[in-house]
Amino acid sequence: MIKITNLTKRYGPKEAVRGISFEVKKGEIVGFLGPNGAGKSTTMNVLTGYLSASGGSASIAGFDVLDDAIEARRHIGYLPEQPPLYFDMTVDEYLNFVYELKSAKQPRNRHLDHICELVGLSHVRRRLIRNLSKGYKQRVGIAQALVGDPDVLILDEPTVGLDPNQIVEIRNLIKNLGETRTVILSTHIIPEVAAVCERVIVINDGLIVADDKTENLMHNIGGENKFSAQVDGDPAKIVDVLRGVEGVTDVAYDNGSFILTADEGADIRKNVFYAAAEADLPLLSFAPVDVSLEAVFARLTKKGEEK
Amino acid sequence: MTAIYKRELRSYFTGGIGYVYCAVFALVMNIVYCMNSIGYYQSGFLYIFNIMLIAMILLIPVMTMRIWSEEKKQKTDQLLLTAPVTTMQIVLGKFWAAMTVFIISLALTLVYPLLAYLYGTPEPAITIGNYVAIILAAGAYIAISQFMSSLTESQIVSALLSMLTLSMFFFLNLIFTNTDIDFISKIASFLSIITRYVNFYRGIFSFSDVVYFISLTAVFLFFTSRVIEKRRWS
Repeated sequence: MIKITNLTKRYGPKEAVRGISFEVKKGEIVGFLGPNGAGKSTTMNVLTGYLSASGGSASIAGFDVLDDAIEARRHIGYLPEQPPLYFDMTVDEYLNFVYELKSAKQPRNRHLDHICELVGLSHVRRRLIRNLSKGYKQRVGIAQALVGDPDVLILDEPTVGLDPNQIVEIRNLIKNLGETRTVILSTHIIPEVAAVCERVIVINDGLIVADDKTENLMHNIGGENKFSAQVDGDPAKIVDVLRGVEGVTDVAYDNGSFILTADEGADIRKNVFYAAAEADLPLLSFAPVDVSLEAVFARLTKKGEEK
Repeated sequence: MTAIYKRELRSYFTGGIGYVYCAVFALVMNIVYCMNSIGYYQSGFLYIFNIMLIAMILLIPVMTMRIWSEEKKQKTDQLLLTAPVTTMQIVLGKFWAAMTVFIISLALTLVYPLLAYLYGTPEPAITIGNYVAIILAAGAYIAISQFMSSLTESQIVSALLSMLTLSMFFFLNLIFTNTDIDFISKIASFLSIITRYVNFYRGIFSFSDVVYFISLTAVFLFFTSRVIEKRRWS
């Protein structure tokens, strides 16, 4: 659905995007993760045709965003970083304008009613956009992207400015939309990616530093096999016992729980259970530690900097 | 294009610029008309078009100064430029909306010929010719002003640049009229709005003058779309 090949974008001498390539299949929800200034918005702006690439190519639904710009844009719903709203219009007027601008084919009233219901705008449709709160403005921005039922949604930080309840709502909405559509959403909020996206592309300093399924990224790239255990008894003794377990390379005591580091790929759970039982130390809880996406992210983006 | 035209036209009137423009335009014209026709018992009203042509140098840049700078400031250009429309369609939508506001304001001046016809027998061809000419000239003014607005994010700079350029085009003839170098004064007179307008004023309908105004308009509309398009490459 989306294909980017060796894309570069220069602003004067500065290279904001330095040759990235990826592909997104139909029905995928991809999180575009990176610190501020990493090149997320630039990539999205190139994809939507707002900016032109300095090199490489991008296509949407098989249409090149430069050569077949109009056709490509027909397939895109785009929410820029700052929602492109006309403050002197009411929500209804604005959505009608967007409907006409995109020459949408859906029956107008039903289509706009449906969108307003989806994003929770139904009760503010007659109000001036100027007078709406930030969260509602953001929703109007999302509604605008949905007009015309595009099969590709490109959302630049869609949950910025929303309150926690709205964030959950919008995330669920994006998940639902993603069942039939292709979605790329950029964010620097990591739980958002974990909650919504099946796949994550981490970008830093204009380069892709990781591109994988969300859970793979959390397990594999974490690189370490860690477990956390709570055991009743004398900490010093427990550390001794746990150190003696086969496969365990290190034990650390941290605030009431023991963090065990094991050989890569080794499953030490049974061994730990029997060792603790033998030493008469009740094992209260025991679980593998998922390396948080934050840690992965920090590691990946730091690696990028070292290069 | 119609979507942009409709939105743009609405914004002239919700934002108030449209009303203010029409009011100021009517005020200036009425003052001039009262002074001449009522104050000095002048029977004709054609002089009003000369004044209009000059007043428009100041008024049209103010009317159109926000045409692109505001889009850029509010980032709404991101919506327009990523919509499935060509840049030229956006430029034309904005152009026709401004033209419509101008024509509305121009309609307010129809009272002068009306009065003249009530109390006299002026030549209808000259009246119609002058109205056609003023609309053609307004097209060129608006195209030039829109172009200036596309160049800068500042509305003031855009308005001043437009006024400067319009006066240049307008007075080109007068500035170079005494120069000894023949071809310069010829070029100046060829490009000058005044020289082109004088024929219409006298009631001569010359095809080349119509072409002049339409080309001037088309060239600047094209430039505008190029400038907007070029932003994608910046």
